[in-house]
Amino acid sequence: MPFALLVFISVVAGFVGAMSGMGGGVVLIPALTFFGMDIKHAIAISIVSVIATSSGSASAYVRDRITNLKVGMFLEMFTIVGALAGAAITLASAQRPLFFAFGMMLLGSWGALFAEGNRAWEPVTHQDAFSHWLELEGSYCDQAVQQTIHYRGARAYLGGPLMFGAGLIAGLLGIGAGALKVLIHDLVMGLPPKVSTTTSNLIIGVTALAGTSVYLAAGLIDPGLAAPVILGIVVGAFIGTRVLVRLTNQAVRRFFQVILVGLGIEMIVRGIRGV
Amino acid sequence: MAQRARTHGSDPAATETPARFDMEGVVGYILFGGVLVSMALVAAGVTWRWIATGHVAFDYSITGMNLLEFVLTDIRQVADHALRPRLLVNLGIAVLMLTPYARVLASLLYFAVVERNGKFTLFTGFVLSVLTYSLFLR
Repeated sequence: MPFALLVFISVVAGFVGAMSGMGGGVVLIPALTFFGMDIKHAIAISIVSVIATSSGSASAYVRDRITNLKVGMFLEMFTIVGALAGAAITLASAQRPLFFAFGMMLLGSWGALFAEGNRAWEPVTHQDAFSHWLELEGSYCDQAVQQTIHYRGARAYLGGPLMFGAGLIAGLLGIGAGALKVLIHDLVMGLPPKVSTTTSNLIIGVTALAGTSVYLAAGLIDPGLAAPVILGIVVGAFIGTRVLVRLTNQAVRRFFQVILVGLGIEMIVRGIRGV
Repeated sequence: MAQRARTHGSDPAATETPARFDMEGVVGYILFGGVLVSMALVAAGVTWRWIATGHVAFDYSITGMNLLEFVLTDIRQVADHALRPRLLVNLGIAVLMLTPYARVLASLLYFAVVERNGKFTLFTGFVLSVLTYSLFLR
């Protein structure tokens, strides 16, 4: 695949990924496979780029003290094991189920984002003993309302195993699976949306590293292909994030999310047809 | 190190208050620095190749190597002064992959030495062990 085309696809993927809130991998993999790349190579390259985009954005959030390092560390125990298992399944899998699974994941993530958009955060009133023992609580300064928000996490006994599933999907499909992780943080553990999103970003980097190790050992990571993708997707995500903070209209974001639904359906059709 | 800062003021009985170790700052700069160095190395490798050959594309793959061997091979080539565009790209990818690893390592030191939190030292130790295991995967 030509270098210029790879850079272009990656910039667009990074941009759409940031605008939709679903990450660059969900656009990158359908685009790379559309231009003829084998889906396993596309997944392997995508997961390397996930380390770059998630670590880049996580660095800013961590310094703003919104990310909860303890919640992140506890949940990473589950996601990295899931990612190793997911990547191993991909190596053993045929191509068609991967297309199908990718399409289903895109539709599921869109549904998760849609559900999230219409829901207000309700603080945890009763913290269970296990979550209390895990010290899953914290506070952050919310610049929008100029107020310090104190919060507590709950149901860690459920959140942990569910995050194994999120890690499995991330390793299996070469994506961050951020939408799913945020959903678990919000709906299951009762964390505030900002803490959910930023902590998810932190977890994604380590999870992607576990998956990357499997793909690298399998010889699926080609540095000649990875280099333009990493550069392009970081640039695209940077532009997308800058545009996003200036947006006040949710309709634009919804538009990009609808594009991803289209991509999801297209991947399922390719999975059914046999690529 | 856990530091204690003395608060000075008009109160003669100035009390000692613990100064919070800025772990978020350390983690933030490890991530930011790692991604920045990685991007710079990859961009430098691509630019060097373009200047030297007129092409930007690389055509090679890594086979039969785990992440640790990949990193060690790159370091060995740097030590041998075998610097070339391809090596810069490889180093960029290696730095990127080791960035989350370095973050977990720093977290382990923080929980073990600064916070002295046995529970989270154990959790972080587990994460680091699994990541280290993945470095040796074949």
